[in-house]
Formats: sequence, structure tokens, C-alpha cells
Amino acid sequence: MFSDILFLSSSSLIIASCVLMMWTKNLMHSCVYLLGVLIGIAGLYLTLGADFVAATQVMVYVGGVVILMLFAVMLTGGKDFQSRSQKILGLLPLMGSKYTFMWGSATAMVFGFCQIYFFRHLFFELKVQETTSNQYAPTIEKIGELLITDHVVAFEISSVLLLGALVGAAIIARPRKERPAFLEPDHHDDHGEDHH
Amino acid sequence: MITLKAYLFISLVLFVTGLVIIISRKNIVAILLGIELILNSAALNFVAYSKYTAVNLDGHVFALFIIVIAAAEAAVGLAIVIRFFQVKESVHIDEASDLREELTR
Repeated sequence: MFSDILFLSSSSLIIASCVLMMWTKNLMHSCVYLLGVLIGIAGLYLTLGADFVAATQVMVYVGGVVILMLFAVMLTGGKDFQSRSQKILGLLPLMGSKYTFMWGSATAMVFGFCQIYFFRHLFFELKVQETTSNQYAPTIEKIGELLITDHVVAFEISSVLLLGALVGAAIIARPRKERPAFLEPDHHDDHGEDHH
Repeated sequence: MITLKAYLFISLVLFVTGLVIIISRKNIVAILLGIELILNSAALNFVAYSKYTAVNLDGHVFALFIIVIAAAEAAVGLAIVIRFFQVKESVHIDEASDLREELTR
């Protein structure tokens, strides 16, 4: 009963946030709607009995990725992340136009139809042996055992991947300015003594 | 009783939304938002199948790896976006046509 209520509220939050995220023109609002989508997915993980995955989802996405996205929007958008007119749309770093939304919607409808058609045995005549046990058990201990026994290679590789990604991000995003003035030999001698 | 089809439908909605955002938006940060939605739909599918087939908890582990890889992708992608903005003074996707910055300006 409680899981039904949680499923209904989370799925309605996800669908409403998805539609608003497609609909809005403001990238800042789009990031906030992404927050709603991610919290709804964490609620769905709770209905599936995946407590550790739900907690990780909330900590990593809501605490990290969305904040990174908001930083990137504010660092790159400035005053121009909100669209004002359709005519100067090509000149500004904006969200899209009528034509791109039209093509995107057409592609999404075609793709959704094809996906439902080709995977219709999953949607309509599902043969997966569903279990009827509705009891929830804590999963952290089993996940910990799996991470150091069956998936230990992927675990170690993901740690190396995270280290490489963070170092690479710091190297890529560092500001590359020109040489500072005190390293130039000609500027140092001229302007240093005029003020005294 | 919630069935597996409901989770598959939610996952389909997430995937199609991410696809629409990737195709229709012109801002690189918005395209990264769409990629996050698609990764989340894949992780939701993993956890849903792991519950309803009840073989073991491998789906949860794969969902955790998806979250790790999405975090790494977001960090590197946003670093590239910020560097791109430093060079081009724009985050429009049509401006991204060079592999290196122009030397003659």
C-alpha cells in the first residue's frame, strides 16, 4: 500500500518534471526540474527495494551532479541563458527553436513507436518469471559482498576511472592565460619604478 | 501490485525525454542534461529487472556503476564546456566545429 502511494507520487513527479524540462526555455529551470526527476527516480528505487542505490542516487546526483550543472550554467550562461526573442535565437547561447523541437518530437515519436513495436513482447506479453514475494530486505551487505567478489575488477577500474576523470577535468578546465606581467622582462623594468 | 511494465513505461518516458532534449536543444549544458536522463533510464531498467526476476543483486551493482560513470562523465563534460566557453565565448552547439582554437585572430 505504501509502495503503491510512493510509486504513484514518484512516477507522476518524474513525468511532470520531464515534460516541464522539455518545455521550459530557461536552462536554470531545466536544471531544477532535473532535480525533481532524480528525486522521483530515487523514490522508484525505494519502491523496488533498492535502498542503497536510492541513497547513492540522492547523494551523487542531487548533491553533486545537479550542483555541477548549475555551476556550469551560471559560469557559461550569464545573462543570456534565457531566451527573449525567436529572431536573435541563433546568435545567443540558447535552448532551441521551433524547428529543432519539431524534429526532436518527430524523432521521439518514431523512436518510441519502434521501441514499443520491437519490444512488444516485453510490454504486452511479458514472460519474465515475476516473483510474488513482496518483502523488502536490506541490500547493503549483499552489494558489498558482490563488489569485492564478483565485480571486483569493475570496481577497481571504476576507481581508476574516477581518478582519471577528476584529474582530467581539473586539467581541461584550468584557465590558460597569457604569461603574467612579472615574467616578461621588458615590462618589469619600465613600470616598476614609476610609482615611487 | 506494481508490475514491471510500469517501470518499463517510466524508463521509456525518461529515454524519449532525454532524446528530445539532445536533439532539440542548442545549449551544450542542456545536451548533458539529456544524457543524464538517458543514463538514469538505463539504471532504472537494471534495478527493475533485478527486482522482478529476483536472481541476484547484480542489477543494483550495475546501477551503481552507471551512477559512477555518469558522475565522471558530468565532471569531464562540464570541464570541456567551461573550456569551450573560455575559447569561443559561447556554448552554442553549432560553434563547436574546430578541434583546436584558431591561431590567427
